[in-house]
Amino acid sequence: MSPFKVLVVDDERDFLESLVRRLQRRSVDAAGVTSGEAALEHLKVHKADVVVLDVKMPGMNGIEALRHIKQLYPEVEVILLTGHASVESGVEGLALEAFDYLIKPVKLDELIERIMEAFDRRKVVGDLAGSPPPKQG
Amino acid sequence: MNLVEHFRRLFAQGPQPPGTEEVERLRAEFAARYRCFRDLLSANQRALEALAELEQAQAGDYSPTMAFVRGRVTATAVNVFRMIQNLEALAPDRYPGLRESFKAVQASVEAALGSAPAPTEGPLVLPLERAASGGEALSGPKMAVLGRVAAELGLAVPPGLVITTRAYALVVKHNGLTEEIARLLQIADLERMDSLLATCSQIQGLFMRAEIPPELAQAVQEGLAALAPAGLEPLRLALRSSAQGEDAPGASFAGQFTSELNVEPSRWDEAYLGVIASLYSPPAVSYRRHMGLRDEDAAMAVGCLAMIPARAGGVAYTADPLDPGAPGVLISSCWGLPKAVVDGTWDCDQFRVSPGPPPRLADSQVAAKERRYVCDPVEGVLPTLVGPELRQEPSLSRSQALELARAALKLQEHFHGPQDVEWALDQGGKLYILQCRPLPSGRAEDQGALVSGAEEKLILRGGVTASPGAASGKVRWVQTGGDAVAFEEGEVLAVEQPLPRWAPLLGRAAALVGVKGGAAGHLASVAREFGVPALLGVGPGGRELAPGREVTVDAGGRAVYAGRLPLPGRPAMAKGLPDTPVRRALAQVIAQAAPLNLLDPEDPSFTPEACRTLHDLTRFCHQKAVEEMFSHAAQEHFPLNAARQLYYHAPMQWWIIDLDDGVRRPLSGKYVRPEDILCAPFHAFWEGLLEIPWQGPPPLDAKGMASVMFQATANPALATGVKSNLAERNYFLITKEFLNLQSRVGFHFSSLEAMVTPLAADNLVSFCFRGGAADPARRRARLAFLEEFLAGLGMAVSIKGDALLARAEELPAPECLAMVKALGYLIMHTRQLDMIMASPQRVEHYRAKIASDLASLGPPADV
Repeated sequence: MSPFKVLVVDDERDFLESLVRRLQRRSVDAAGVTSGEAALEHLKVHKADVVVLDVKMPGMNGIEALRHIKQLYPEVEVILLTGHASVESGVEGLALEAFDYLIKPVKLDELIERIMEAFDRRKVVGDLAGSPPPKQG
Repeated sequence: MNLVEHFRRLFAQGPQPPGTEEVERLRAEFAARYRCFRDLLSANQRALEALAELEQAQAGDYSPTMAFVRGRVTATAVNVFRMIQNLEALAPDRYPGLRESFKAVQASVEAALGSAPAPTEGPLVLPLERAASGGEALSGPKMAVLGRVAAELGLAVPPGLVITTRAYALVVKHNGLTEEIARLLQIADLERMDSLLATCSQIQGLFMRAEIPPELAQAVQEGLAALAPAGLEPLRLALRSSAQGEDAPGASFAGQFTSELNVEPSRWDEAYLGVIASLYSPPAVSYRRHMGLRDEDAAMAVGCLAMIPARAGGVAYTADPLDPGAPGVLISSCWGLPKAVVDGTWDCDQFRVSPGPPPRLADSQVAAKERRYVCDPVEGVLPTLVGPELRQEPSLSRSQALELARAALKLQEHFHGPQDVEWALDQGGKLYILQCRPLPSGRAEDQGALVSGAEEKLILRGGVTASPGAASGKVRWVQTGGDAVAFEEGEVLAVEQPLPRWAPLLGRAAALVGVKGGAAGHLASVAREFGVPALLGVGPGGRELAPGREVTVDAGGRAVYAGRLPLPGRPAMAKGLPDTPVRRALAQVIAQAAPLNLLDPEDPSFTPEACRTLHDLTRFCHQKAVEEMFSHAAQEHFPLNAARQLYYHAPMQWWIIDLDDGVRRPLSGKYVRPEDILCAPFHAFWEGLLEIPWQGPPPLDAKGMASVMFQATANPALATGVKSNLAERNYFLITKEFLNLQSRVGFHFSSLEAMVTPLAADNLVSFCFRGGAADPARRRARLAFLEEFLAGLGMAVSIKGDALLARAEELPAPECLAMVKALGYLIMHTRQLDMIMASPQRVEHYRAKIASDLASLGPPADV
């Protein structure tokens, strides 16, 4: 299993389940929930290094969820994943310190790559905050 | 904080060396800056890739979807924003104008993407006789025209009303459908039949479950109450689509939209939702995609007309669609509702009326009409058997045919061109015009047989030329949705009945053969529009066509032959229109996103404020990031672990930045020698660079080699125009296991990145080459030349626009190092690619030499 934990948040259950399954098959330690509210509940109990977050969801939308997550858990990296491409929400998300904004459909390889990069950044930022320097390679 | 300033302050103060802790902190900080830089580079790559995809779509001969355009534009803009963020992290407050420029560019791109505003004013419902006053924008073309038929020509049309496009917009808004539809289309792969079907059914479900806004319900109920159609009691309704763009020249949406027939007035709402849902039927969505119409612009008015319980009905063409020059009105007619003719379901009577004056019945072919559609006593329509006494009888009398022909000619004159007229006779023999639209014309020059002298290969002859031309392919019978999913590009589509639901397959079909049907059906007109040869109504003999058998369909010659016969050259079929709404939007978006106005970084106008396009912004951010990251690196007093100049016989224009453990310590002085470097990929690269000497000029002294390597990716024509710049040095960023080489000159940028560890799963070699300013042909030739060798090395290569990306992952360390070594060789030895591309002989010579050199490279030495 991967050294990092991923939480996928998407209200489309089919998409969510298949993505989580595919990530797990690729040895990514992944879990899924279907709403922003559930994501916050999940993070209270479970650790996550990277959250993959759908932008458009009923109830708390992805941007709001991002705002909460970054407030409560600044070290968690968030990748926004959207089926409704809009520059505005992308820019808003990045301004709120989302790691990236990806547009569906996204290739699994690319998503995993971005998750790993996000985890990497988290590591570096965490190191800068006081822990020992990174061991490269 | 500016790191370089920080270093300078730190080290300018005095001789005492920084403590280990301080050095470690600085190194970590440098590594963080390096992350920002890499992130910026990767965003740069993503932005340019997305931009290249847009440009490819513009150059391509297919019509992209609006969702594709929107997706790629968003990817470009969002990545540009990432670049801005990262540049700001590298140099806080240094470029305050960037965000303003980005906002302005973003606004203009959004404007270019913007859809035509849906009507926000005007009535929700119009009486049919006033439909024309609402114009096509409100009534849709079909109902606007029908309103004029009654008002201006005095021909009978069914009494009724129009539920306008504004009502459609209201329903969509009331139910919040716009975003949901855009989202579903965005994530779908519409090229795949199964994905298309699933997406359409989801979207249609949204409509079917939608709520009718109360003000619309009230307006329709009032309108229906005011209808008092004499002789048509009890009132039943026919709900007919009247969609924007439906009747645009060359864009007939024939058969893609649903009509709801014989509807109980109190249940209009359900039927209405069913009709507007058909805006997202698979044929309609795929048709829009082929024709480049924007889904956002799709809006539908719906005619809500009194149902005519027809004794006979059909279609009249005021010209032969296959031979527009031949005068006369072609009438297809059947018993009962015209649906059977419109759907092309069953055989029907054919009449030809010569225009005269006076018009004369020139020809009549009476078919055996076993079935007809009639109104169900409760609701809907159903097929029934025709009584034996009527089967062989003509469904139109001579005088009725003439009356119809005269009406059709009147319509042709009034609307200035050949018309396709749907009509019905009520039980009393009164003629109603149900629909009237311009007749798409076939191409006369394609008339006639294209195959001759192949009688021994003839499989069948007969049928009706529904769309001229000839083509070969394997036979695929399609009866079910499952068959449709299995349908492959270039096959011959064989069907029992040419139903409109097979229209999405025509974009990929070589030809169409139907056992039933004729030239007047919906599928026939779509086939004509797509330029797919179609032979319909071939009769039971058609069923003998064996699945998978290779045949040649000569639709013009009304024959099918065994095997693939030679056909006279035909111009490539135009499957998309050159100028479509999506294409126009694409062109506008590209105009706002793609041009590069910032050329010379030395020019005083190279500022954030001068950035007018997304491409400008990427160029600016990239340039400044490189400067911020490295330009002061050569300054003295730079600490350990920062940039050191590479010394190989002499100081070279290459700098080494050790990110962690890539260099032997302790080091003194400002140079680093190859033997001090511990980075395995660096050594592999270096060996590749040097192992086989470069034979051409300039001679290879140390300084010369630096310039060789420097120029390896340069276009001399451009490089001369750009002053040497600190930012144009070449940098190796290294650790023990990692190598990142950035080399940029003028418009050319290449990067090599390698991560080589004992664990294959972590390993990566990636190479990116981008060269912007040569002419496209040479650019392509150069990329293709490189691609061949890179693929030969076992790398996955993709070319997007002017960028070549090669990648290999998860290979064992020795293979990765051999790959890096080969890349070192290639960078050195393909430096004059541009020049040799002009001469095929020299290309051959170099290709052979490079291939043999690559084969002779030894394995990389152990470090």
